[in-house]
Amino acid sequence: MAERAAIVAVGQTKYQPNRADASEEELAYEAVKQCLEATGLSLSEFDAAVSCSQDFWDGRTISNMNIQRVVGAHLNDEDKVCEDGINAVYAGMARILSGHHKLVIVVAHTKESQAEKSLIENAAFDPALLRQLGLDFVSAAAMQARRYMYKYGITPEQCAKVVVKNHGNAKKNPLAQAPLDITVEDVLSSKILSSPIRLLDAKPISDGACAMIITTEERAKKLTKKPVLILGASNCYETHYLGDRDLAECEALVKATSTAYSMAGIRNPIKEIDVAEVSEEYSYQELMWMEGLGFCSKGEAGKLIDSGMTKMGGKLPVNPSGGVISGNPICVAGMARVAEAVLQLRGEAGDHQVKNARVALAHGITGACGQHHGVMILGR
Amino acid sequence: MAKKKVKETTEKSPKEEPEYVRIKFNQPRRYDWSTGKYLGHFYAEAKENKKIVGNRCPKCKEIWLPPTPVCPKCKVDMGWDWRELPQTGTVFQYTYLVFPLWDPHYGERWANPYASGIIKLDNGVFYRHFLEEQDKEKLKEGMRVKAVWKEDYNERGQGPSDILYFKEIGKE
Repeated sequence: MAERAAIVAVGQTKYQPNRADASEEELAYEAVKQCLEATGLSLSEFDAAVSCSQDFWDGRTISNMNIQRVVGAHLNDEDKVCEDGINAVYAGMARILSGHHKLVIVVAHTKESQAEKSLIENAAFDPALLRQLGLDFVSAAAMQARRYMYKYGITPEQCAKVVVKNHGNAKKNPLAQAPLDITVEDVLSSKILSSPIRLLDAKPISDGACAMIITTEERAKKLTKKPVLILGASNCYETHYLGDRDLAECEALVKATSTAYSMAGIRNPIKEIDVAEVSEEYSYQELMWMEGLGFCSKGEAGKLIDSGMTKMGGKLPVNPSGGVISGNPICVAGMARVAEAVLQLRGEAGDHQVKNARVALAHGITGACGQHHGVMILGR
Repeated sequence: MAKKKVKETTEKSPKEEPEYVRIKFNQPRRYDWSTGKYLGHFYAEAKENKKIVGNRCPKCKEIWLPPTPVCPKCKVDMGWDWRELPQTGTVFQYTYLVFPLWDPHYGERWANPYASGIIKLDNGVFYRHFLEEQDKEKLKEGMRVKAVWKEDYNERGQGPSDILYFKEIGKE
């Protein structure tokens, strides 16, 4: 069994509202190609491929058939996860740790522009009960936002500060879809989607792909001068039926975090983690997830954003890339967080580089109201 | 005033007859699948020039249909090397479908029965398409066939469906 898995290359398309110029396969290949060019590897050298895509978004079952040629899957080991891209990274890591595979290509793609978002999200709910009751991920998230804000006294201004910070960070990231010069007032006066969530509180429709190469620690050192190690990783899922949980809490995240931290030997996250990339499809989520990740205690994330600690230059910058709110498609979002963490640790994040980042956290979610969380700790 | 007691169970055991969730969906579901560069070129050649095209691997020189950005066998970048394919070929394997299949783009059922097969085009590339011959006694492996196109330009633009079917050569 290999001791640790390492990421040796990452590739991302620029995230855009509509990539009608490229098929899903071509989009995925853009990201894969960057990884091949960076390492000089060819697709015939890989002994496994793991992808992440979603059948309803692609409009076909077995949506990995879209990308099998561009990951060299012909007569090779190939598998798909259909939750978030961070799970594909996890599955790639597991292949390396198993000792059965030495070199894995991982890719996620989605074109949200090509289908109806709310119809697909509604289909995520069970057909016998919740699907009939007017739910998509926005309306579900809105209930979570309201419950969280009510329980802990989080204000709309504090949520809006997340939006302003992240779109501001996106201005320094050439891959980000929506770099915006906005104020808290702009967020609070944007139109309501489902109260209390406003247009600017939500992520935009986005197309894109992300890829990476995972290998053993030993091989990684031969492939690149700057390998990034996966120090800890964990996933946790909680009940689908929204009435079964207090939506102001994120127990699954707390559990995933605790396992990932113990694997990585992290005891004081604020001190030991230099940068965090967190999946906030809606503004309130960055605050909630910071609590779940143990960056502060329950209900304290509002004060954390007020303090400026999570800004660029703060003690723990959160989402220097601009985050999911600046535009990442579903499935790709969590893998893009890992990719951004890798760029930060390699010192390759350009204008949005966090100085001397040595340990990074990446986080991904799947489902309504963060039903499933994935947490990964990476280090150089 | 005494509280009215609510009966806790209504049945001693579950009902035996099944209940179903009914769906009535009359709106078309949007999917804007873009063909992209490679399949887009295949579509354009069919529409504009009534040609079947595939792309050729720079390493093994195999021609791929449908076209691909990466050679499935050599796993190398295909570049942009296009070859026109012959429109005549031989039926390699076929089937005769007797139950009505759904047309996935229009939500209607195809007329049936119908024959379809894998045709080995005269340069050796395989293409799956409908066969014009509807008499299952006359269908056979090795049958010589040619592509029959939609003649109206405005009806083309549907990629593989720009060819109506492959028809037996000499059967006019």
